Amino acid sequence: MTTTTPPQHPSADDPRILLDDQIGAFEAVPPYPPRTEREAEFYSLGDGEMFLNMGPQHPSTHGVLRVVLKIDGERVVDLDPVLGYLHRGVEKLCETSDFHHIISQLDPLEYISSLFMEWAPVMAFEQLLDVQVPRRAEYIRVLTGELNRVASHALFQGWMALDLGGLTPILYSFIERDEIVEMLAAITGQRMLFNYFRIGGVNGDLNHEFMSRLGDWMSRASVQNQANTDLLNDNEIFVRRMRGIGRLDRETALRMGTTGPNIRAAGVPFDIRRAHPYSVYPELEFDIPTRGHDGGGDSLDRYLLRIDEVKQSLRIIDQCLHNMPDGPVMAGLPRLLRPRPGRAWAAVEAPRGLFGTYVISDGTDQPFRMKIHDPSFVNLQLVGLLMKGNLIADTMAVMASLDPVMGGIDK
Amino acid sequence: MTAIARAWDNLTVTGKILVPLLFLVLVVAPVATVLIALFVGPWVVDVLASNLGIVRFVVAITGVLVFTIPTAFVIIYMEMKVIARMNLRIGPDRVGPYGSLMSVVHGLKFLSKEDFTPTGADVPVFTLAPVVVFLATVMTFLVVPFGPGLVAQDLNIGLLYLFAIGGMNVVGLLMAGWASFNKYSLLGGLRAAAQAVSYEIPLTLSVVGLVLLAGTLSVYQIGAAQAGWFTDWFVFRQPLGALIFLIAGTAEANRSPLDMTEADQEIVAGFATEYSGMRFAFFFFAEYVNVFVMSALIVTLFFGAWNAPFPFPDVAPALDPGSLGIGLVLLLAAAPVALTLLFAAPFYLARSSTPAWQALLLGFITFSVVAVGGLLGAAYLGLDWFAGLAWFMVKTFVFVFVFVWMRGTFPRVRIDQLMGFAWKWLLPASLLNLFVTAAAILVVEALNKAG
Amino acid sequence: MDRSLRRRLEARFGDRLTGPVRQRHDQTEIRIRPADVPEVMRELHDDPTLGFEILADLAGVDTGTHMQVVFHLWSATTPDWLRVVADGMPRDDPRIPTLTGLWPGAEWMERETYDMFGIIFEGNRDLRRIYMPPDYTSFPLRKDFYLADDAARSPGGGVRHMEQTHAPTQATPSVVRRTVKA
Repeated sequence: MTTTTPPQHPSADDPRILLDDQIGAFEAVPPYPPRTEREAEFYSLGDGEMFLNMGPQHPSTHGVLRVVLKIDGERVVDLDPVLGYLHRGVEKLCETSDFHHIISQLDPLEYISSLFMEWAPVMAFEQLLDVQVPRRAEYIRVLTGELNRVASHALFQGWMALDLGGLTPILYSFIERDEIVEMLAAITGQRMLFNYFRIGGVNGDLNHEFMSRLGDWMSRASVQNQANTDLLNDNEIFVRRMRGIGRLDRETALRMGTTGPNIRAAGVPFDIRRAHPYSVYPELEFDIPTRGHDGGGDSLDRYLLRIDEVKQSLRIIDQCLHNMPDGPVMAGLPRLLRPRPGRAWAAVEAPRGLFGTYVISDGTDQPFRMKIHDPSFVNLQLVGLLMKGNLIADTMAVMASLDPVMGGIDK
Repeated sequence: MTAIARAWDNLTVTGKILVPLLFLVLVVAPVATVLIALFVGPWVVDVLASNLGIVRFVVAITGVLVFTIPTAFVIIYMEMKVIARMNLRIGPDRVGPYGSLMSVVHGLKFLSKEDFTPTGADVPVFTLAPVVVFLATVMTFLVVPFGPGLVAQDLNIGLLYLFAIGGMNVVGLLMAGWASFNKYSLLGGLRAAAQAVSYEIPLTLSVVGLVLLAGTLSVYQIGAAQAGWFTDWFVFRQPLGALIFLIAGTAEANRSPLDMTEADQEIVAGFATEYSGMRFAFFFFAEYVNVFVMSALIVTLFFGAWNAPFPFPDVAPALDPGSLGIGLVLLLAAAPVALTLLFAAPFYLARSSTPAWQALLLGFITFSVVAVGGLLGAAYLGLDWFAGLAWFMVKTFVFVFVFVWMRGTFPRVRIDQLMGFAWKWLLPASLLNLFVTAAAILVVEALNKAG
Repeated sequence: MDRSLRRRLEARFGDRLTGPVRQRHDQTEIRIRPADVPEVMRELHDDPTLGFEILADLAGVDTGTHMQVVFHLWSATTPDWLRVVADGMPRDDPRIPTLTGLWPGAEWMERETYDMFGIIFEGNRDLRRIYMPPDYTSFPLRKDFYLADDAARSPGGGVRHMEQTHAPTQATPSVVRRTVKA
């Protein structure tokens, strides 16, 4: 194989280079000619504009997101998110893992809400295998899933404040999250990457420790939630930083493929739990809160909507506890699964939106192809739309309000 | 001779350097001192005596420099602990009792870090920037009155000097931002410039009303004018001015929620992004010293400076130890022994198993505590400057706490909100305050004339 | 399974479907030619009786013999998910018209599919790699991609050449690979 010598990029480490001539070496411009129309447009600077490379090491890019901002003073003219710093090749890994093994591969995708990352693939595998999941297992899935949603949204609340410069709320959020995570650890054995759902049910029934922790928490969950909420919602600075920033209208939200709280905050009541019911959600009573006015939702709407959702989740948890049927928590299945060749798609409503899995089976014990659709990935596209014309500081407010998790985005 | 030569040969390299030095210090230095004292001494004393102002200035500068570092340490520790408590954390608790030596460890850490200069930086400016910031902050101490008579320089234009020197701070920040060759630093520096320019105006205007009332620009005189009951403090006559001063002071000190220059969620660390080691420590110290200075200024200008909230009866003559005559000597000789024995007695009698030496030790400790407390109390009652310093420090640290509290509570405002607030609200409010004050003074004068 | 959806789809796209409409569980699947994608999608989206206004997923598939692009759509008019399979792209030069005109949000999903499979979405104005480094030359989710083989040519191997954007033929030569009848 012949290798062509690439044009040498002037490096800052090279002592032969005079910096005065090569100041451009410090720009965020890639060292190759633009490959696409969009890239050419972005990397040409207008009058008075400059690039600001934000990330992958930056205090508030939620992990390892890199965003190249084109700024004019404090104003963001355009921006170009650069992904891939956390890419693990999960889809390729899934093609070489058997069906049981895959569940644990997917946990670290959205490490804030791992149960949902297990739920969708497990549902898809069950379709491939035509397995009927016991009702008790379904109820346990809903119960733990909603707990995980509350934990995720609680953390969002603190993050939002942290990205706006408030130091304290994140620690209050972690208290609430920690209680839930400890509770889930009591039945799953893990605090973060639970690996709890199984094809045909869940791994282990509810136990005493979980129930006592849950009862303890439920007795004060709404009060605690209200206290955390009041801390922020009555704060004038906090509200003013978010009101009117990053306005996302209904039509754009639909066209951009946005899902989850972000689209509901724009006024579209799209929630897979009602739009395409799965598990036992049809039997449960809860509302799909929506926000947004004048045909759009801003950062504040997205923030408030998540708080509304927590209240609905608490309702669901309450009903699950009251309606929990007796019975087994696993369907009888062989250890080695060889589904017939076929295709299946399953989607769940994760805290950040539609989490879907498309599986193709070729009759072996490993899927032939496994596509993971992560909501954060699609939602993150919105930053390009919502941030143009805002200030650098608003970049944080908007990005935090979209609540991306880089583990899921980079897969 | 051979013995000395052999001894010299046996020395290590370090020894060969240290021994002559030791010789210099032990032999030459005393001789030189004696000679200087004998021949140049009188002349030196004369010069010093005739330039007492300069001597006072040098001593004050040294004192201020020595004072700032512990102040910064104390405030940093306080911030770590207070914010930790607000966050339901414990905070530092490893180094020293209750983590109180954490700041010292921070200082050592800064000293041991690499002093890094980025490629492409403007080296002289980059090096000078922390010095400018630190000096600008420290220099403000010169006119801060810590108590009656406890002021380094009672400038008659003290207030003007304060704002002038405080404005120099931003030059340092701008230098740091520009010289770092980093866009985050540049943004931070420019934010600092914009913010300082905007907030300097309401900050200065907010005290003009107070100056009209006090009739002086001397910070010391303003402090002295607030003696008496706490109702004489200027905050009750200039409430709006005090509020504006507090807000604008927060911005001037770059404290949350107005810390745009180092908003870490937005521009990483602003002007300090490229700094490390001791240079960063200078910025760090300057920030906390600035907090102290701002608190001190608020206290001095609006909250009665060193004056107690209510006048104490003057007990100084009654406590004059000279009046005891020879009894003082007896007291000094007899009281420790007598009191130690007195305090030891209950320990000895309470439990029969307590050995005498233990009881005596406990008695002595009790005596020491009581004596120190008594002496402090006596000092407070008897010494004006001591009482003033105590009140001043207490009040200042209350406001330091307020700054820390704000940092733990508020999210950060946005840069356009910040600027808008300064120009649309604070500036008109401070002008209004000034006009109302001037008008009130005129009316009162007219009434006095008429009456 | 929504039988009426099947009838509606067959009536509407009869000649454009390359295979029978399949239904299993809560999914309805239709197959079309890649060139028909924009037209069919626009009708699915705009027709109020169909009203598929949410693009739930866009996935590339390498069946081992040819390339597919699979779309999942959601509509309020049916309880089913609609799966649209754009089938039969050659592995050595897979091309398909872009969907970004209809759903701008498909841009990144198309970038991802390009990055992983080398499927070229004609008309996408930002068809760059999204996960892999820009100078990466192969397409990892293809069935003939082998990690050890490709790692040697990755930037870690010390060769930093520019990406040849439209050159899927440069991918690893074929080896024995899994295929599926999907």
